[in-house]
Amino acid sequence: MSTAEHFVTKTGTEKTVSLKPADSFVSKFLRFLCSVRFGVTLLVLLGIACFIGMVVMQQNVAGFDRYFAELTPSQRLVYGKLGLFNIYHAWYFNALIAVLSLNIILASIDRFPKTWKFFSRPTITVPLRWLREQNKTAELQITGNVEETRIQVTEAMKKAGWRKVKTAEKNGTTFVLGQRGLWNRFGAYAVHVGLLTIFFGAFLTAQTGTTGQMPLAPGQSTDLIFETVVDLDKASQLTKQLPFTIEGVDIQQRLIKKEGSLSAMNTIDWMTRFTIKDETGTHDAFVQMNKPFDYRGYRFFQASFVPVGRARSITLNAVPAAGGEAQQIVIPRGGSAELPDGTVVVFSEFRGNFRMGNEDPNEDTSEYPNPAAVLQVSRPGGPREAAYAFGAGLSNIPVASKPIGGYTFQLADFEKVSDQHVLAVQRDPGAAVVYVGFLLLVVTLIAVFFFSHQRVWAAITEGPDSTQVLFGGNANRNSSSFEEKFDKFVVAISRFKAPEGERNANERIEKTTGE
Amino acid sequence: MSQQVLHQPVLISTDDAEEPGVLSSLYSYLPAFLAIGGSLILIAVRLNVGGERFMSDGAAMMLALASYLIAAVFYLTNMYAPFRFAEKLGLYAATLGVFFNLSSWLIRWASTYDRELAIFQSQGLGAEDMPWLFRYVPFANLYDLSLAFAFGAGITTLLIMRRTHFQVVAALSLPLAAIILVLARFIGDDIIDLPPVLDSYWRPIHVGIASLSYGTALVCFAVAVLYLLKDGLKVEKMAIWTGLFSLSVFATISKFSIFAPSTFGTYTASTFMGSSRFALGLRADIPYVGWLIVAAAILLLAAMAAHLISIAKNDISARNWGNRILWAALATQAAGISVLVYQLRNLQDVVSNISPKQYPIFGAWMLQQQEMPQAQINALGQQQLYDIANSWIIQNGAGLHLSLNANPVELSALITAFAGTFFIVLFGINTEKIRSLLPGAEVLDGLMYKLAGVTFAGLALLLITGAVWANESWGRYWGWDAKEVGALVAWLTYAGFLHSRIAYGWRGRRSAYFAVVAFLFVIFTYLGVSYLLPGLHSYA
Repeated sequence: MSTAEHFVTKTGTEKTVSLKPADSFVSKFLRFLCSVRFGVTLLVLLGIACFIGMVVMQQNVAGFDRYFAELTPSQRLVYGKLGLFNIYHAWYFNALIAVLSLNIILASIDRFPKTWKFFSRPTITVPLRWLREQNKTAELQITGNVEETRIQVTEAMKKAGWRKVKTAEKNGTTFVLGQRGLWNRFGAYAVHVGLLTIFFGAFLTAQTGTTGQMPLAPGQSTDLIFETVVDLDKASQLTKQLPFTIEGVDIQQRLIKKEGSLSAMNTIDWMTRFTIKDETGTHDAFVQMNKPFDYRGYRFFQASFVPVGRARSITLNAVPAAGGEAQQIVIPRGGSAELPDGTVVVFSEFRGNFRMGNEDPNEDTSEYPNPAAVLQVSRPGGPREAAYAFGAGLSNIPVASKPIGGYTFQLADFEKVSDQHVLAVQRDPGAAVVYVGFLLLVVTLIAVFFFSHQRVWAAITEGPDSTQVLFGGNANRNSSSFEEKFDKFVVAISRFKAPEGERNANERIEKTTGE
Repeated sequence: MSQQVLHQPVLISTDDAEEPGVLSSLYSYLPAFLAIGGSLILIAVRLNVGGERFMSDGAAMMLALASYLIAAVFYLTNMYAPFRFAEKLGLYAATLGVFFNLSSWLIRWASTYDRELAIFQSQGLGAEDMPWLFRYVPFANLYDLSLAFAFGAGITTLLIMRRTHFQVVAALSLPLAAIILVLARFIGDDIIDLPPVLDSYWRPIHVGIASLSYGTALVCFAVAVLYLLKDGLKVEKMAIWTGLFSLSVFATISKFSIFAPSTFGTYTASTFMGSSRFALGLRADIPYVGWLIVAAAILLLAAMAAHLISIAKNDISARNWGNRILWAALATQAAGISVLVYQLRNLQDVVSNISPKQYPIFGAWMLQQQEMPQAQINALGQQQLYDIANSWIIQNGAGLHLSLNANPVELSALITAFAGTFFIVLFGINTEKIRSLLPGAEVLDGLMYKLAGVTFAGLALLLITGAVWANESWGRYWGWDAKEVGALVAWLTYAGFLHSRIAYGWRGRRSAYFAVVAFLFVIFTYLGVSYLLPGLHSYA
C-alpha cells in the first residue's frame, strides 16, 4: 500500500500528501533546511547584511579613518562588536553563505525526483476537469473517428513544435500529449549549480589566493610584494615573496594633453615593461591598463603610480661655452649620450619641482611646476661633474648658465612619466572556477528565461455525431508566446479536412479560452 | 460526455477564425524598429554632415524628454477618456521619444570622439593616433548612464506596447523615464576625460547591460503599481506610502536642514565656483523654499491622517478631505520646486545668502579636501574653522554662483516626490473607471513576472560582466564595493521575488510589493551609491 498520494492541484502543480504518522524532529529539521521558504529567508537576511555593509563604511574603503573618527564612541563600540566595519568577512556572513549553499544543495536534491518525473513518467492522461482549468483550452467537434483525429492532432502538434508526442487511453478517452522544452525544467538546477560553483571558486580564492602590490621603476629588481592589511583605522603591510625575480625595464605614461599633469584623468594608458627571472631563464613581460600579464599562475596588473614627476626621456640643447651651434641630444631615463667632441652626458635624475638640495620624497610633483634634469657630464679623460638642465621657468637662475664640461644645458623637451608604476600581483586559483560558474549561470539563465516547457493535451472522445476534442495546455514560462502558439494550433486544427479530402461543411469550432 | 465537456463555449466558425499572421506580428515591432533604425540613420548623417551645425546631444535629450511627457499625457488622458486617436498619438510620441533618446546617446558618442580628436590635432597628432573607438562610448559618468537608463525604459515600454492592451503601461513608465532624463539634465552634459581604468571593452558591455536591466526594472515597477491599482489596493493606502516617501525626501535633502530644530524651514543649495562643475561643501540659503516644503509636508501629513481615518472607519468624508488636502499639497510642492528652480537660475548675491552657520562646516570641508586627518580637523575650534572659511569667502566669494547642476539628486528627488503625489491625485479621480480600463489582473501579473525575470537575468549578467571586468582591471572579481553590493542586493530581491512565487505561491499583490521594493534597491544602486557612498564606482 502506498504511503503517499499524489494530487494534481488547480494550478497544475503536483502535491504529495504524506499519510505517515508525525515526522521526527530530525526529518522536520531537514525538511525545513531544504525548503525554498528557508532559502527565501536566507536571501532576505543576506540582502539585509549586504545593505548594512553598504551603509556602514567598510574598513578597507579609502576615507574610512575619517568616517571612523566622526563616529561617537558608542557607535564605534557597537558597530565594532557586531563586526559591521568588516561585515563581509564576519563569521556570521560566511555562515550565512555556507547555510545558503547547503539550502540550495538540499532543496535541489529534494525537488529533483519530482522534476525527473516530467522526463521519466510524463503525465499523459489527466482529469478532464483539470484540463479545462488550464491557461489555454479549446473544444472542437471534428468529423472523423477517434483514430483519424488522433493522427491529425499528433501531426498538428508536431507541426506546431510540440515534437515529443505520446498517446494513451483511459476510460474510453484517447489522450495525446505534445510537449517541447522539457529540459527547461532542469534549468533551475543548472542555475543553482552555477551559483554553487561560484561560491566554491570564491572559497578557493579566499583560502589559496594571494595578492599584493609591487612598486617598480626601470632598473629596479625585486621578488617581494606588499599586501596592505587594514584593521579599523590602522593599516599595516604584509610582505610576501614571489618564486621569481622581477626587474623593471621601462615605464611609460601616455597622456591626453602633453602639457598637462600625470593625473589619471589626463592619461590614456600606463605601460610597464619588465623581465621575470627564474630557474627557467629570463622572460619579457609587458603590462598595460586592462591588459594583464600571466606567468606561472601569477597575474600582473597595472594598478597605480607614484605621483612624482620624472621623465622617460629628455631632449637637451647642449650649448658650447666657447660659442658655436647648440647640439640637440635625446637621452632615455638612466641612459647617456655622447656629443661630437666625445663629451658624455649621463641622464642621472629628473625632478618635477627642482630646488637646490635634496628632494622631498613625499612631495607630489606630478604637475611639473619647475622641471629640471640632473646630469653627469664628463669630457674625454676628465672627471664626472654634475650639471643641470632647466626648463623655461628656471632658465634664468645663475646655476643654469654655469658651463659644465664646456657646455651649458637647456631642457628643450621631456616625456613625462611617474617615478614608479605600481603593479598589482595576484595568484587566484579560484578565479577559473568562478568563471566556469559564470558561464554556467549565463547559459542557464538565458535557457531558463527565454525558453519554456510547453505541454498540450488533447482528450479525444467519440461523440454521437462527431468526435469531440478537448485541448488544454500550459507552459512553465513565457505564457504569452505559448498562448499565441496555442491559438495558431487550434486554428490549424479547425481547418483540418476530412480524411477523404473533403471539407465538412458543418465543421464548427467551439472554443473557450482562459483569458 | 460531450455535453459534460462543453463549458459555455463561444462558438466561432472556421471562416471567422484568423490565424495570427507573421506580418502582423512583425508590424507590432515597427515602432521599436523605427526608433532604433531612425537613430542609426541620424547618426550616419551626423558623421557625414559634420558636428557643429548639427543637433547637439543635449538638444536631442530635451526632445526625448518632451516626447516622453507628451506620450504620457496622451496615455494618461486615455485612461479617463479612451480614444483610439489619442492612443495612436501616444504611440507616435513614445516612438519619437525613444528615437531622440537613442540619438542623443549616439550623438554624444560622436561628440566625445570629436572632442578628443581636437585635442590630439592641437598637439600635431591626427585621427590615426587616436585610441580605439570604444573608448568614446558614452558610458563614462552618471549623465551617460541616465541617458541609457531612460532609453532602456523607453525601448522596453515600446516593446511591450506592441500588445495594445499593455499600452497603458506607458502612462506610468514614460513619466518615470522622463524623470531620469530630468536628472540627467540636472547632472549636466559635460563630457569628461575617461579615467584609463574605464577604457576597456567590458565597459560598454557592463554598463549597457546595466542600462537595459535598470530600464526593465523601471517598467516592471510601473506594471506593479498598475497591478496594485487594478487589484483594488485603496488609493488612500497608496497616498500614505507616497506621502511617507515624500516626507523622507523632504527630511533628507539640504543636509537634513529643513526639519532640524536649529535650521527649521531652511533650504540650502550647494554652490559652484567660477567655471568649475565641482559642487563645493558651501551651501547658500534659498529663500522661501524651505517654508514651502514645510507647508507641503504639513499638508501631506494632514492628507495621510485623513486617509488613515478613512481606511480605519471607512469614512468617505475623511477620504474626500484627504483628497482635497492632497491637491493642496500637490500645488505647494509645485510652488516649492518652481521657486527653487527660479532662484537657482536668478539669485545673484550668493555670499549674502550664506548663513554664518555654514562657515565652520565649509572650513572643515576645505581641510578634508586637503586630506588633513579628521582627528586634526576635530581638534580645531569652531572659530578657527570659521576663520578659514571666512578668509576663503572674502577672497573668492565673487566667483560663487548657484546652478541647477549643483544639486541634481535633490532636485530630482523633489520632482519624483511631486510626481508621486501627482499620480495619487490622478488615481483618486474616477478610480473605478481607471481600474476597469486596465488589463486583467492576471495579465498584469504575468507581465510583471516576465519583466522581473528579465531584470533578474539582466542583473545577473551585470554582476558577472562587472566581476570579469574587475578581474581584468583590478585583479579581483569581487571586492564588496558599494555599487557591486547594491546590484547584488537588487538581484537578491528579484531572486526573492521569483522564489517566493515557488515557495509561498506569492503572486499578484505580494509580488507587486516585491517588485516595488526591488526597484527601490535598483534606484539606490543607481543614484544613492554614486552620490552618498564612497567606492570604486563613485564616478557613475
